[in-house]
Amino acid sequence: MSLNFHEQIAKVSNQSILLCYHCHKCTAGCPVAAEMEYGPDRILRMVQLGERERVLKSRDIWLCAACETCGARCPNHINVAKVIDALRMEALRSGVTPAEPDAAKFHKLFLFVVQTLGRSHEASLLIAYKLWTLNLLADMDSGLQLFLKGKVPVLPKTIKGRGQVKRIFVKSAEAVAKRAPSSANLAPAQEVQ
Amino acid sequence: MAIPYFPGCTLSTKASGYDRSGRAVAQALGLEFQELNEWQCCGATFPLSAENAMALVAPTRLLRQAQDAGGQVTTLCAICFHVLRRTQHFLQGHPDVLERINWFTEEPYLGNVRVTHFLELLRNELTWESLRAKVRRPLQGLRVAPYYGCLLLRPPSEIQLDDPDDPHILHECLEALGCEVITFPYQSECCGSYLVVNKPKVPQQLAQDILTSAQRHGAQALVTACPLCQYNLDYPQKSVSGWTLKLLPVLYFTQLMAVALGLPSEDWGMENHTVDPRPLFEPYLTTVGQGRTGGDR
Repeated sequence: MSLNFHEQIAKVSNQSILLCYHCHKCTAGCPVAAEMEYGPDRILRMVQLGERERVLKSRDIWLCAACETCGARCPNHINVAKVIDALRMEALRSGVTPAEPDAAKFHKLFLFVVQTLGRSHEASLLIAYKLWTLNLLADMDSGLQLFLKGKVPVLPKTIKGRGQVKRIFVKSAEAVAKRAPSSANLAPAQEVQ
Repeated sequence: MAIPYFPGCTLSTKASGYDRSGRAVAQALGLEFQELNEWQCCGATFPLSAENAMALVAPTRLLRQAQDAGGQVTTLCAICFHVLRRTQHFLQGHPDVLERINWFTEEPYLGNVRVTHFLELLRNELTWESLRAKVRRPLQGLRVAPYYGCLLLRPPSEIQLDDPDDPHILHECLEALGCEVITFPYQSECCGSYLVVNKPKVPQQLAQDILTSAQRHGAQALVTACPLCQYNLDYPQKSVSGWTLKLLPVLYFTQLMAVALGLPSEDWGMENHTVDPRPLFEPYLTTVGQGRTGGDR
């Protein structure tokens, strides 16, 4: 029997979403609530009600900065950031176009840089991101300032072990493709208290 | 005493001043940072979803390097600390996941490494008392506001470093240096984190709120342990048009320690700040040798 939307998200996030009684404490403390359409407590309510499409298409799930203030203050110990993360994964898995596509692009580029160099490198990352999102002018002032002040080295450093790092990336991609037992989609484990 | 140390990507590039001051301070206190061999990126975010164990491969590989280095690792970067500490906590409760990750990394991690933030080493092993005894330039009268942010504190059940609503560890460190420490209501509010990449307006607004509050409480500087907080709070002060707030330097705690311990200015690592903090310390540069100072909170 397939799980309904709420059960599925509860399983992936390992959180008891039905315990939410809408005290709004999470939304009151959320640093990005002002930018959101609904806010974390209404997102939880929509998950409870099974409003799958509305939740997955909402920009709110991409605005979360994972600061975990909501979870630290929830009287019912729901880690809301974990629920949001499960919603992001579900949105990507089911092919919903992210309401904030640039966030997904940055994520992919970050992994590409680490796969190639073994380490993150802000200069390569920022330039590639600006090129991809065609957002060359916005925010260039801060990037340029960093270059001028020598905060971002122009040439990346790399590590000798990058061959191993690359192999790990390849191996994981293969495992996911084959849906091998050791794939990325491990069965949800029990939460440690 | 040698301490295995993981600098992380940001401290080797953008936040090199944090790394430089941290290493110098550790050495002055008789702790020698030994950089982990062939380290790679920690992944920069802890995977929140239980299904996403693949994202734990990178931090587990680092824990494995720390295992070889003697079974412990310390960090300065609050982000790396957060990722490594939560990974360690998660793997201890999930041996089945650890087994699968070990299959990927080709080098078994046994699951017993102790992950610490440098602040914790200072509090638990060095003690604030002995830090206070080593202060050569007491920063008396310097009004500083500790800014904790998120990753050093939350979620408290996994991080277990300090009280998430009433944190003390930075307060205690700065008091040992002789500073006048100011508590302000935004001390553990989020700075907006990675949203600076795709939604820069959000962290800019948050920075304005945080800096305004700190100034209203009389702070002359903000002190943090996180390179992303430092960036998000420092850079907008000169590059956002229409920024009307008075400039407020944003420092790493290790930089204040470097000044207070009497280290030379090359060790402070303050050259690359948007708001130059160095003028704050001019009054203290002649007071070397006054010894012990500071009060209890």
